[in-house]
Amino acid sequence: MSSSARSYASVDAVQNLLAEQKYICDHNIATVVYLATQLGKPVLVEGPAGVGKTELAKVVASSLNIPLIRMQCYEGIDEAKALYEWEYAKQLLYTQILKDKISEVTQGAATLSEAIDRITAQDDVFFSRRFILPRPLLQAIQSDDGVVLLIDEIDKADAEFEAFLLEILSDFQVTVPEIGTIEAKRIPIVVLTSNNAREMSDALKRRCLHLYIDFPSPDLELEILILKVPEAGPALMEDVISLVQNLRKLDLKKQPSISETLDWTRALVIMNADSLDHEIVKETLSSIAKYEGDLRKAEKELEAFVQQRRAKADEPVVPAADGGGDLLH
Amino acid sequence: MSRWCRRLTAAATCFTELRVEHRIVEFAGLLRRKGIRVSTAETIDAVEAANLSGLQRRETFKNSLRAAMIKRSGDVAAYDELFELFFSGVGELVKAAGESAASGMTPAEFQELLDDIARLLEGMDPELSDLTRALLMQDSGALEQLLRELRDSGKLPQRPGNYVPPALMRELLGAMGAGDLQEDFDRLLAAAEHGMSEEELEKLKEYLARRSRDLNELLKGMLKLDREQADHKENREQERDRLLEKSFYYLSPSEIKRMREAVSALARKLKNILAIRYKRAKRGRLDVKTTLRHSLEFGGVPFRLSYDRRRRERPQVVILCDVSDSVRNVSRFMLQFVHSLQDIYSKVRSYVFVAEIAEVTQLFKENEIQGAIQRAINGDVVNVYAHSDFGRAFKDFHRDQLEVIDGKTTVIILGDARNNYNAPNDWVLRDIRERARQVIWLNPENASTWGFGDSEMNLYSKHCDIVEECRNLKQLYKIVDILVAA
Ligand SMILES: Nc1ncnc2c1ncn2[C@@H]1O[C@H](COP(=O)(O)OP(=O)(O)OP(=O)(O)O)[C@@H](O)[C@H]1O
Ligand SMILES: [Mg+2]
Repeated sequence: MSSSARSYASVDAVQNLLAEQKYICDHNIATVVYLATQLGKPVLVEGPAGVGKTELAKVVASSLNIPLIRMQCYEGIDEAKALYEWEYAKQLLYTQILKDKISEVTQGAATLSEAIDRITAQDDVFFSRRFILPRPLLQAIQSDDGVVLLIDEIDKADAEFEAFLLEILSDFQVTVPEIGTIEAKRIPIVVLTSNNAREMSDALKRRCLHLYIDFPSPDLELEILILKVPEAGPALMEDVISLVQNLRKLDLKKQPSISETLDWTRALVIMNADSLDHEIVKETLSSIAKYEGDLRKAEKELEAFVQQRRAKADEPVVPAADGGGDLLH
Repeated sequence: MSRWCRRLTAAATCFTELRVEHRIVEFAGLLRRKGIRVSTAETIDAVEAANLSGLQRRETFKNSLRAAMIKRSGDVAAYDELFELFFSGVGELVKAAGESAASGMTPAEFQELLDDIARLLEGMDPELSDLTRALLMQDSGALEQLLRELRDSGKLPQRPGNYVPPALMRELLGAMGAGDLQEDFDRLLAAAEHGMSEEELEKLKEYLARRSRDLNELLKGMLKLDREQADHKENREQERDRLLEKSFYYLSPSEIKRMREAVSALARKLKNILAIRYKRAKRGRLDVKTTLRHSLEFGGVPFRLSYDRRRRERPQVVILCDVSDSVRNVSRFMLQFVHSLQDIYSKVRSYVFVAEIAEVTQLFKENEIQGAIQRAINGDVVNVYAHSDFGRAFKDFHRDQLEVIDGKTTVIILGDARNNYNAPNDWVLRDIRERARQVIWLNPENASTWGFGDSEMNLYSKHCDIVEECRNLKQLYKIVDILVAA
């Protein structure tokens, strides 16, 4: 077993290669990605919704030019959905087709139990790789080249599933009782994401490197915006970012994230707004504030913002040196 | 590069690595003492990460250790603080002290001076102390090591102020295995008198004086650093203990903020305990009955297998919070606590009352938790300036809401039971208890005062499964234990 053949040369290389995939990240994110690929350890990425956790895994895969295998977690997800399932229908179909063969095998059996014994002896025909349906975890383990395995929203899965995952992540091998042990040829690069709906167990955390992605700084957010919505004008971008950054300081039930910033800017561009001082802007606010209470607060903030802006615009231009004397008279 | 030279370099790298490793292990110990859990495996990861990403860039070094050792976003602030304290400590001091060593000389001149000193030191018999040699040869690694050992030996006295009296200085030098520094210098100068020009000698003297001052500064800095670290530790521990015992009644705004954090930490802890408890479920067992029933659709062929998957039943909570002036703070934390646990309980319904009672569950769905609490207790939903009337609130609840309670419900009532001599209507509690899984009453008043004056606590407690005092964080911890057991 070895870690992925394709890897990053340095922390700075991570930053550059991700930027090529249109993902802007700070030094910290780049460092953790670099360490994870070098040490062959999973990364647990936590942070508010929409800050680019899922996207990070995707761009790691595309920047290294390896496939991404995604496993979306949900309440009730279990081994069958994550690891493998027997293709029961296919097995059944084969038994129907092979009816004659089967009666050949059981022919001459004196008792029912003898017949069953004979069939059982043929078990491994039906419980072989041919009839296994690999789910994301097994796919990742079986793959010949390196892959990025994205285990998305692990906090949605139950604690039992987390325990199961823990075993897989510690040795990257799976035992299928009927077949044997399947071992990963290459350790996948594993990215787990969580929105913190539930605190992950300490055992899981111990096995992972930890990355907390917070809302971006204004500069970083502007960079992302320039990259992702280049059609927006610079004035609009700056307005959007200062308002969004203000909103994040309020106590909102759901704080606007990068994805909301992007959505909102795109909406504004479509509506031909070149700054926030427009009637229509109010109507688009629902793309950054999803809850009733939040929407009210956002509206207030927008009004304040626009008013301040107008007040500034109305301020008399500071008179040049000769005019300044007037005030003294 | 000669083979010998290469080997030396390899040894030197190995030495730095060892030192870094040692430092990281030490640092992990410090983190643990501050209540951040760091396992040995994580410490090893941190060492590997540090070696991989290199030490040149401080920011990278810091990020690498954090990724390996800090797994909880709540611990990041503490980590940052401790990292600065720990890693900028002695090393930075030594670096700062070394900066002026070459002052007034060109690099070439300085190198020449160091070469001279190296030659002189070699000829010394008996050798000068490690400290003197490290100091004069500008060996910051060795110097750092000596200082660190001094600090770890516990021989640094705790003393206020910046002044280091000569006697203490001698004592510290002694502790570092150095005798009288001046004596060492004198011997060196004596040796130098042969074969050094007047001018060179003068330069050497100046250098010695400078280094002696540097060492003085270094030790002062060490004392200060040590003091800061000790203060830091003490403050945090004291604060935590104080907060534990502090009555909810008297909290300053900043204490309220810290208490909030403590309450959410507590909720997290509880969630963790419960998560561990849910045992790993095997793939459900084959459910023969359902499978056979389905097979009828396919002419008796069991085309679709059904597994029996018992979903665990999550408990439900109904909480009734007294939000009158006297107990408002406690209600605040109780509401926060219960709502932080939303995902453990399948349903949380909350009511607040003084005399009127109103449901506030929806408030929590639509607002962020602190905002919801604020609105629940500030008079928007029920009149908070009324005189407390538990009897009336209970009766209204009985009339309108009784059906929200069933055999899976834990009912938590929070209040001081001071009923202003109104009708207590304790029969409501009897009815509630008959329907509910259990009834818990939390009283923020000192238990010794229950039942006196207008307190109906004695009457009400007859209809409760559990009655607890709930005046401070410590007691809240105890209540959590009860809830976990429930
Ligand atoms: N640093 C970034 N650079 C460029 N685009 C970004 C960045 N961060 C986020 N985005 C964009 O924001 C959007 C949301 O990102 P993503 O879906 O990865 O968020 P998330 O953290 O996974 O959210 P959730 O917790 O809701 O799943 C994506 O469209 C992504 O392209
Ligand atoms: Mg996502």
